Amino acid sequence: MADFSWDVRSPLDRTLVAGPYGVQGDAGVALTEIRNFDLVQVMARRGKASEMAQTAQARFGVAAPETPKAVGASDATLIWSGPDQFFMLSKGGKHSIEALAPVFAGSASLSDQSHARALINVSGEKARTMLAKLSSIDLHPDVFGVGAAAATSMDHTSVTLWRGTDRNGQVVFNLLVFATFAQSLWHTILDSAAEYGVTIGHSEDLA
Amino acid sequence: MRITCPFCGERELGEFTYLGDAKPQRPAADASEEAVYDYVYLRDNIAGVMSEHWYHGGGCRAWLKVTRNTLTHEISAVEPAAGAGAAKVGA
Ligand SMILES: [Zn+2]
Repeated sequence: MADFSWDVRSPLDRTLVAGPYGVQGDAGVALTEIRNFDLVQVMARRGKASEMAQTAQARFGVAAPETPKAVGASDATLIWSGPDQFFMLSKGGKHSIEALAPVFAGSASLSDQSHARALINVSGEKARTMLAKLSSIDLHPDVFGVGAAAATSMDHTSVTLWRGTDRNGQVVFNLLVFATFAQSLWHTILDSAAEYGVTIGHSEDLA
Repeated sequence: MRITCPFCGERELGEFTYLGDAKPQRPAADASEEAVYDYVYLRDNIAGVMSEHWYHGGGCRAWLKVTRNTLTHEISAVEPAAGAGAAKVGA
């Protein structure tokens, strides 16, 4: 039998070039890829939505989102991904699929998405203006406030989008995209952001 | 055209896929060949209000039942299809 040696690496590993991009000067958009996270999709089994919600409440100390929003727990973020389902985003293995499987046994089906998605953090003065070119939903703060989430499409690609806590008085958006579509969407984002000046980086910290 | 998904809110048409008439009901296992043929192949070509299945594949991936006027594209109702979102339809 052949031996395989798989490198665990980000789907943007070869594409992402840290540093400035586009127009020179003060960057209007900051793009940061977040690497090495635990991401588990939790989907209620038939007739078990309330049981799943109670289990989530007991485990994370917050109510699982029942509408499109992202809810922060002390060491994780619960992001709505559809009716009776949510993503569990965390770090360090505490809420990995191995840890969560016995907790949700019977109430929800779990699916490990840790290596199936790329997570892109978009911030900066022009973040919303740039995303408006790609998204058909209204991202104005009056409509899409802190903690708002959406399962939507950008450039024909399914994404999970949510607004994080503001950083240095600036709006922060998070984007989860399928790993195999990450490069394509990344290039589209760069094209859209170039005119505002971009600063690119990657981080291991969940924003 | 926009569809107001009961789970996601108002979204552009591009996020949805059309399945077709939501009226036909699967016949019983012992139904006649004629009834099965009708269910599988025969469709009314409605000029007016009809009930349709749409899939929100570019969003929450729920199946929806949309009441739409095929002459004006006016949408008068959108509800989750059976089994989509247990909490909302009690399935
Ligand atoms: Zn939807």
